[in-house]
Amino acid sequence: MSDNGNPIKRREFFRRLGKVLAGGGIVAVGARSAANVKSEGKADLYWQIDHEKCIQCGRCQTSCVMPVSAVRCMHANKVCGYCDLCGGYYRTNAKELNTAAENMLCPTGAIARKFVEEPYFEYTIDEALCNGCGKCVKGCSSFGNGSLFLQIRQELCLGCNECSIAKVCPSGAIHRVSYEDAYKFKDQA
Amino acid sequence: MSRLLVNRFPRPDFESGYLYPEYSYAVPNEMLWDIIDVTVLLILLGIVTWAAFRKRMRMPILAVSVVSVGYFGFFRGGCVCSIGSIQNVALAFVDPSYSLSLAVFLFFIIPIVFAFLFGRVFCAGVCPFGALQDLVNVKNFRISRPVAGALSVIPWIYLAFTLIYAMTRTRFLICKFDPFIGIFRLGGDIGVIGFGIVLLLMSIFTGRPFCRFLCPYGAILDLVSRASIFKVRITPKRCICCDLCHDSCPVDAIKAPYGNKTGETPAEGVRRVVAYMVALPLLMVACALMMRWIAPDLARANSEVRLHEMVTAYEAGPQDTMEPEVEAFYSQGRNLAELETSRNLVVSKFRFYSTLAGILIGLVIGLKLLEMSLKRGRKEYEIDYGRCVACAKCFDYCPQK
Ligand code: SF4
Ligand code: SF4
Ligand code: SF4
Ligand code: SF4
Repeated sequence: MSDNGNPIKRREFFRRLGKVLAGGGIVAVGARSAANVKSEGKADLYWQIDHEKCIQCGRCQTSCVMPVSAVRCMHANKVCGYCDLCGGYYRTNAKELNTAAENMLCPTGAIARKFVEEPYFEYTIDEALCNGCGKCVKGCSSFGNGSLFLQIRQELCLGCNECSIAKVCPSGAIHRVSYEDAYKFKDQA
Repeated sequence: MSRLLVNRFPRPDFESGYLYPEYSYAVPNEMLWDIIDVTVLLILLGIVTWAAFRKRMRMPILAVSVVSVGYFGFFRGGCVCSIGSIQNVALAFVDPSYSLSLAVFLFFIIPIVFAFLFGRVFCAGVCPFGALQDLVNVKNFRISRPVAGALSVIPWIYLAFTLIYAMTRTRFLICKFDPFIGIFRLGGDIGVIGFGIVLLLMSIFTGRPFCRFLCPYGAILDLVSRASIFKVRITPKRCICCDLCHDSCPVDAIKAPYGNKTGETPAEGVRRVVAYMVALPLLMVACALMMRWIAPDLARANSEVRLHEMVTAYEAGPQDTMEPEVEAFYSQGRNLAELETSRNLVVSKFRFYSTLAGILIGLVIGLKLLEMSLKRGRKEYEIDYGRCVACAKCFDYCPQK
């Protein structure tokens, strides 16, 4: 370089060089990442529970960043047995099968039981009361048809950049899904 | 124990004309929110740039800060944010199966492009974190130069670790240790919120501790802004060296005119610079080796590695109570050999990225040392554009309007 001796010119040269390097770097990183961008409909942006993996460990209730977890129980009525003796409704060691609180599996009383016709009972979840503890899901999977399942309610979920439940989920059940799969129902597989 | 559908009880034949209840569920329109977020980002950046360059006024920037804390902070819960977007972009770089959404990409690149053009106008008030710290700032106690210099390496170290953990798909450290998100969401991990509150209390007395000594995105913007095309100026006229602006800067970015005040002779100075230059590659190698050495320990944060530890411990001496992780492992029909392979893959990735991270850390420490020992005479008060966040606070202090 001929202007090596002149500090002003040298400084100007380095300044230009810096601009070129920074600009080039931004273009390179930008172009490379832009190539990885997935179009909105296809991108996996929604956190959801894979109910085939979930073991109802209870961490969904406690690990969400929301004061009350964005995870709630849902009920696939179409595959429910409408049992009188519901494994998700009563505790396994319930002494008497009445609706006294100590016999209920659900700690918040979010499961409503309604007589339909002999011998069937309909169970519905009051999602405003449910806290996502998964106790009923466990009961139903063990003794019933497995028609209860946990879901991340997308209208409650903040869509954290990293779901804090996903990081503690023992079964790796929480993953990101696309818009079409934002809910997975048990009776529509 | 099966978690799948089982047909222990047949589907009832209802005779009373019973209708199955419908699912009630909703999927929010994420796309719409993305568009709104990016639009707000662009508008706020535009306002700050206009205020700092055309109007030379602090007021609009203050307004932007309030809007940003309100909208990006409290209303949107601090997500998506540019700082965290580093992780998504980094992960998408090495793992094409990972979905990088357009909004996250734009949140990553737009402030960088603005920084290349105008300096850190994003930091001035568009970033809810910077804005929040600025809004509570009252007094600026200056931190001594060597201390500030040493602390300013932390963002790079944080960045290096963030990249390791994101690229191995282990954790998003920035999201986990985000000090202000708990405040924005009014809930979360107590320790992290406490840290956020401490930072806020500190920012009352010294400007933006998070931005200066922690923020990894700030580190990137710092680098880019040094080369920015347009630069804010304390005064459009000539500096008369009155020293009035010096203490107004919240991030200590204003450098006073400087004669050769050190006791060092030029020859000593040159010798020092040469010594640092020789030390630089050595430092890089040393840091790389050290990081490579601790890589297996770092890998223990990865769920696959942890699971491997749990399962081997369980198989060595089965206990009565199974950890839920181990229970899930067996119920998914996985076996130890397959887990071993995937664990080893994770550990080798950790080794690779940790080595690179070590090189980066060594480079940054070496360059900081060099930067601090390179002394160049200044006749006026000048802005250090790496640090300046274009907040426009100094403009008002200058009598040369
Ligand atoms: S943390 Fe995982 S395993 Fe536990 S209840 Fe939630 S989804 Fe199921
Ligand atoms: S993404 Fe966040 S809000 Fe949604 S379920 Fe996970 S922790 Fe809760
Ligand atoms: S340095 Fe980081 S936290 Fe501070 S304003 Fe800039 S991006 Fe935000
Ligand atoms: S605009 Fe002035 S006061 Fe604000 S950060 Fe830059 S130099 Fe400091």
